[in-house]
Amino acid sequence: MTNLRKPGFVLGLIVIALAIVASLAPQLLATHDPFESVATDRLLPPSAQYLFGTDNLGRDLYSRVIYGAALSLLSASLAVVVGVVVGAVVGLISGFVGGRTDFIIMRFVDVLIAVPGVLLALIVVASLGFGPVSLALGVGLGAAGSFARVMRSQVLRIRSEEYVEAARTLGVRSPAILVQHVLPNAARPVIAMAALEMGTAILSVSALTFLGFGAPPPAPEWGALVSAGRDYVATNPGLSIIPGAVILVVVLAVNRVARAIGGDE
Amino acid sequence: MTQVKAWAGYLLPKLGQFLFVVVATYTLVFVLVHFLPGDPLIAALAAKGGASTVIDPAELDALRVQYGLDGTLWQQYFGHLIAAAQGDLGVSISTGVPVTEMIARAFPFSVQIASLALLFGVTSAVLITFLAYAAPWPWLRQLLLQVPPFGIAVPAFLSGLLLISVFAFTLGWLPSAGARSFDAAILPAITLALPVGALFFQVFSSAVLEAQNSPYVFTAVAKGVPPRRIFTKHLLRNALLPSITILGLLIGYLAGGTAVVETVFSRDGIGRMTVNAVLARDINVIQGVVLVVGAIYALVNLLVDVAYGFIDPRTRIGGGVPSRARLGAKK
Repeated sequence: MTNLRKPGFVLGLIVIALAIVASLAPQLLATHDPFESVATDRLLPPSAQYLFGTDNLGRDLYSRVIYGAALSLLSASLAVVVGVVVGAVVGLISGFVGGRTDFIIMRFVDVLIAVPGVLLALIVVASLGFGPVSLALGVGLGAAGSFARVMRSQVLRIRSEEYVEAARTLGVRSPAILVQHVLPNAARPVIAMAALEMGTAILSVSALTFLGFGAPPPAPEWGALVSAGRDYVATNPGLSIIPGAVILVVVLAVNRVARAIGGDE
Repeated sequence: MTQVKAWAGYLLPKLGQFLFVVVATYTLVFVLVHFLPGDPLIAALAAKGGASTVIDPAELDALRVQYGLDGTLWQQYFGHLIAAAQGDLGVSISTGVPVTEMIARAFPFSVQIASLALLFGVTSAVLITFLAYAAPWPWLRQLLLQVPPFGIAVPAFLSGLLLISVFAFTLGWLPSAGARSFDAAILPAITLALPVGALFFQVFSSAVLEAQNSPYVFTAVAKGVPPRRIFTKHLLRNALLPSITILGLLIGYLAGGTAVVETVFSRDGIGRMTVNAVLARDINVIQGVVLVVGAIYALVNLLVDVAYGFIDPRTRIGGGVPSRARLGAKK
């Protein structure tokens, strides 16, 4: 655990821990009700009472950011899960079956990678309707292609290992080999990649909620907060820039820790 | 003659790949649109007229014909594919304007900021890499090499709004919105250049550093060649191939980035048009945009492959990593 001696890594862990607490138990960190407006306290600058200031309806921005963590991070996590599961299954089948099936599947994976992820997400959102779940499906589908590629290359590497040959000679059936030998050995690089994908997913999800494709208005999703503050950027730039900065800090923290997980130092 | 044959053997498969990617992109979009639950036309009409919109079935059928959403799936699939090949991408459900026309109108605005962003991003990446290369102190070098990659982690809406707040509202140097003048393109281009430049920097700087550790650079340094000349003559040349390869990826980034950037700066363009189309659930427009962007992306990759053949003849003759024996046999 030499990582624990590095200040950047420790700082990243602290930010992630705070983000997780904010998603699971926002009442522990919030100072106000995120939906309660105080008519006399509109558009206030940051102060001891309102840490990030208040919005145009007199709601506490800090508490809204805290309560927004759950939706924003849940969509991003779901997106990564969708990407990993779909990608891993496709890559596993493609690499293990091989031959013509492999060729055809991989050509489709090429296309999935070729179409820009945002556009893919937009098609899914336009077809399924707006909301955190369809966002997550769209972003996840955009990431699935690269996961499939990594998984397949792992499977191809492991398939020719001696222990797999041995298992096959002993008469172990293919599904059992897949679950007992191939999957555990292929997992590590895929997990490292999933950790890195989390940062990207947070960015994509917040960009899409910024564009207005997330949960309907009162929900304090991070991207939606930035978008709502946009109208006041001339007079109260903090209203959109502070939630934007929070997204940046969380993404940086996730990326820093993910790099350490991947052993890329 | 062998030259022509070698080129044909190199290019024809690439051309086939290009066509495949375009058709497959079309297929992917088609599958997503038609197999995800929900009727695209009803969703679009509901977005247009409110959730309680009532349409009688006969009218709905007429609308289906009008927007090209009638007939069996096979008829639609091949009908639209043939029409698209002839430049007809159907009619927008929300505005009634042909999609090709909408894209043609919005395209120049996006190309303006995208090409400017590419210029800014690539120039600053090369400049920072040179400064890092020439830096007299190791700490400065480390700083110059480690800071730029963070550009990828900055959300475009954050950098865009920061730029607006500083340069448009506080200093009053540049306009905050619109697409009428050249000035208005500068801030959006910088916003877009940040992730694109950061991505390019990662590839470019690592290629330069790798070349720097090579024997020929060692020899050049030993001969007393001045650093700037080493940078342009030896390092830049060898960093060219990996840098060109990433161009295709950058185009994808640019296409995705315009959606956010054009919304932040209230600019006309492909990105904003797509966002509005998604808000209106206008599937015809979205399909058209994805197809055009996918085709451009594939075209750039095709050009990259051709450029590869020019820059590095080995890729042309061997189609892959050349073996020593084959290079020897050619002499």
